[in-house]
Amino acid sequence: MKNLKYIPLLLGLALSVQSIAQDYKLPPYEKFKLKNGLTVYLMEQHEVPMMNVSVILPAGAIYDGEKAGLASLTASGLKYGTKNYPKARLDEELDFIGASVNTSASKESAGLSAKFAVKDKDKVLEIIKELLTEPVFDTVEFAKEKKRVLVGLEQAKESPRSVIGSYFDKFLYGDHVYGNVVQGRVSTVSAITVNDLKKFYKENYVPVGSAIAIVGDFNAKEMKVLATKLFSDWQGKQTGINLASKPLPVPPANRVLLVNKDDAKETTFYIGAPGISRNNPDYVSIEVVNTLFGGRFTSMLNDELRVNTGLTYGASSRFVPLKNGGSFVITTFTATRTTEPAIDKAVEVLNKLHQNGIDETSLASAKNYVKGQFPPRYETSGQLAGLLTQMFWYNFDESFINNFQKNVDGLTVEKAKEIIARYFPKDKLQFVMVGKSAEIKKIAKKYGPVTEVQIKEDVKKAF
Amino acid sequence: MKKLLFFVFSCLYLASQAQMKADDVKTFILKNGMKFLVIEDNSIPNANMYLFYRVGSRNEYQGITGLSHFFEHMMFNGAKKYGPKQFDRTMEFNGGSNNAYTTENVTVYTDWFPASATEVIFDLEADRIATLSIDPKMVESERGVVLSERSTGLENSPWNMLGQAVVAQAFQEHPYHWPVIGYEDDMKNWKQGDLERYFKTYYAPNNCVVVVSGSVKFDEVKALAEKYIEPIPAQPDPPKVHTVEPAQTGERRIVMQKDVATPYLNIVYHTPNSKNEDYYALTLLSDILSSGKSSRLYSALVDKKQLATQVFTDFGQSFDPYLFGFYAIASKGINENDVEKAIYEEIEKIKKEGVGEKELQKVKNQEVIGFYNQVETINGKSNNIGTYEVFFGDYRKMFDAPALYNKVTVEDIKRVANKYFIKSNRTVGVLKSNTEE
Repeated sequence: MKNLKYIPLLLGLALSVQSIAQDYKLPPYEKFKLKNGLTVYLMEQHEVPMMNVSVILPAGAIYDGEKAGLASLTASGLKYGTKNYPKARLDEELDFIGASVNTSASKESAGLSAKFAVKDKDKVLEIIKELLTEPVFDTVEFAKEKKRVLVGLEQAKESPRSVIGSYFDKFLYGDHVYGNVVQGRVSTVSAITVNDLKKFYKENYVPVGSAIAIVGDFNAKEMKVLATKLFSDWQGKQTGINLASKPLPVPPANRVLLVNKDDAKETTFYIGAPGISRNNPDYVSIEVVNTLFGGRFTSMLNDELRVNTGLTYGASSRFVPLKNGGSFVITTFTATRTTEPAIDKAVEVLNKLHQNGIDETSLASAKNYVKGQFPPRYETSGQLAGLLTQMFWYNFDESFINNFQKNVDGLTVEKAKEIIARYFPKDKLQFVMVGKSAEIKKIAKKYGPVTEVQIKEDVKKAF
Repeated sequence: MKKLLFFVFSCLYLASQAQMKADDVKTFILKNGMKFLVIEDNSIPNANMYLFYRVGSRNEYQGITGLSHFFEHMMFNGAKKYGPKQFDRTMEFNGGSNNAYTTENVTVYTDWFPASATEVIFDLEADRIATLSIDPKMVESERGVVLSERSTGLENSPWNMLGQAVVAQAFQEHPYHWPVIGYEDDMKNWKQGDLERYFKTYYAPNNCVVVVSGSVKFDEVKALAEKYIEPIPAQPDPPKVHTVEPAQTGERRIVMQKDVATPYLNIVYHTPNSKNEDYYALTLLSDILSSGKSSRLYSALVDKKQLATQVFTDFGQSFDPYLFGFYAIASKGINENDVEKAIYEEIEKIKKEGVGEKELQKVKNQEVIGFYNQVETINGKSNNIGTYEVFFGDYRKMFDAPALYNKVTVEDIKRVANKYFIKSNRTVGVLKSNTEE
């Protein structure tokens, strides 16, 4: 591979831009609310006889409380089946028609996404309804899943890339629920019972505050009747407590978290800081500037750490926005012996961004790039269904998409300078390094006071 | 039975209605031998260009292993008109992005861009195919990049280490023996001359198939190809890979150490290349074994017996006969031998009792939906059409695939299981933390 796929700058979020010469508008859709509070989006797409469903629920890891991993286990628990569709039958029937129905939890929300042929819509929509509204959380299935998850948590420690994000969030967010580790920890998952899942489900899987988006080859009028019939009986208001609006901690100074992995041959590291919330008015401008800094192949970071020096296979940066705040990270990896030059370079590039700003030509390039790479993000019904639920969750509408090009084009060099000063960290950097402590601890100390943990140990509750 | 047959028809109908027909792919061949496949698709105002070069690690030899992949990297490092860094800078300035990948068989370059930038992309590609310059300074910094790529692969997945070792056991003479990324010592030893020879031998227009999909017009693509690429001269055909792997006559086993939570298991059987008639039955057999939670291996090993936390199989495309692979990770406290035994039990069941009609129908349905999913986007279209053209000899085979899958019978499944899944034809690899016991 020439390079690792560049992760879209704003993780999990849909950004839109039209192609340079054409006017892109979000296809028309219908939005309505059922009496029980569930928001429904319908968008007809007739190119192919397929359908996609995306559901978002206020049931993410921020509601885990002391039971880290509970939201994630509950989401996968939906697929242990229902009374009419016990797990074996559920799996068999979905596999037979080539339909996919997946459930998962993320930091703030839980979700279901499905894809199937339109001729199977009655069956699959009925299954989706049952999974969402009457899951049984079978005890035997849960016991099996728990064992798999516990091994999975240990296995993840075999890959620095798989765990560094959780360490970073804990380190940055501290006790705030945004620091919750979605997959959970060995100690907490071990203690979770099927009754915990049932309770979590009851408290958080509710129509109020949730949305379902259905996109594909159907008649919206008929689908409205069907969706209303299917989901109107679902009742409930959330009783889980959302602590996400509590103030986020502000790091007072540089700090280093060193995660020792004895057999590491390279150092994987994040350099980060607090970022932005999704509703930040400068959201689009921040994406354009980050594209130049660390969001594409020719970005300042990749150019310096990969192309000029060969220190790494890839270096990048991104903002990860949530509802009430977010993070910013620079991320890369390098051989153990080049740990110091790689970290120094990354910090140096960040300093350069502040000192030199960006010029007209680079800015024009970033604008073209962001706009040119947009349309493939909304090519399929699945992508559009995901976008609609993101619009619901983060409370934005199609103007964000329809005005995206205008907003990108509106960014000037002067404004970019303000964006850099305001949103890109200059100091009080948070370093997380996963590597061989015996060889890099001295280097780590250069960047701030070091907290050392062992990768084999359970992730701490807070650092 | 009737119901099932009806389902097949509706699925095929879905497939034929859902995406383009063979006639929607228009082709031309330049005088220098470069073949173009063009699909006009205006669903988004973007387009792509996929260039498939018939060169991969199977064209290497000991001493220069990994060179095909390294060359893939060097193709981005400057030519006559667009010097070092200019390929990527120009492409990104015009709203495009790119990547590339190298396998044992092919090297594929992928450009994704707003359709309005199509001419720039032709200019960029033509420049590097015609006049790549191999700057010794760039060679050195790029060497560091691929060494990092190798190291980060090994650092983050035990499968890399185990998989490479198992393939090396299964192939003792054929160049599939070494990993695509190369041996570390070879990587440090590639010479300027190796690179220059590689470029001349393999990066010839006649050794490449190009697919362009998206909001483009066939005539315009053809005109651009004639303007930018046709002047590049053809080269003599590259030397054939003549080594044929001798038939394996006994089981081979390897064990390797890495600090892992539970053992990793990889079992491979030699199977024929993509043009063999058994390709379709083997693909469906792979699905029966591991596609979905109702599949044989998932259901038995992960769900019922809980011997493994994960299990999957793979069978892909290749020019020369390659491998059918089984992969599993043992559950906590489970000995890898028990996982291995359980896999063989499932294989033996199929060899003796075959599979059910409904079970076969299930994976045929999945193939149709999967196939449709792959060509849902313009990028999926280009990748699939190019793959069929290169590995099956004709892109039209892609459109025949649903019918060819449909022809596979339960007897065929039983037959290929008995033919290939035999003890003397397999190689078994185990990776675990304690290898002294």
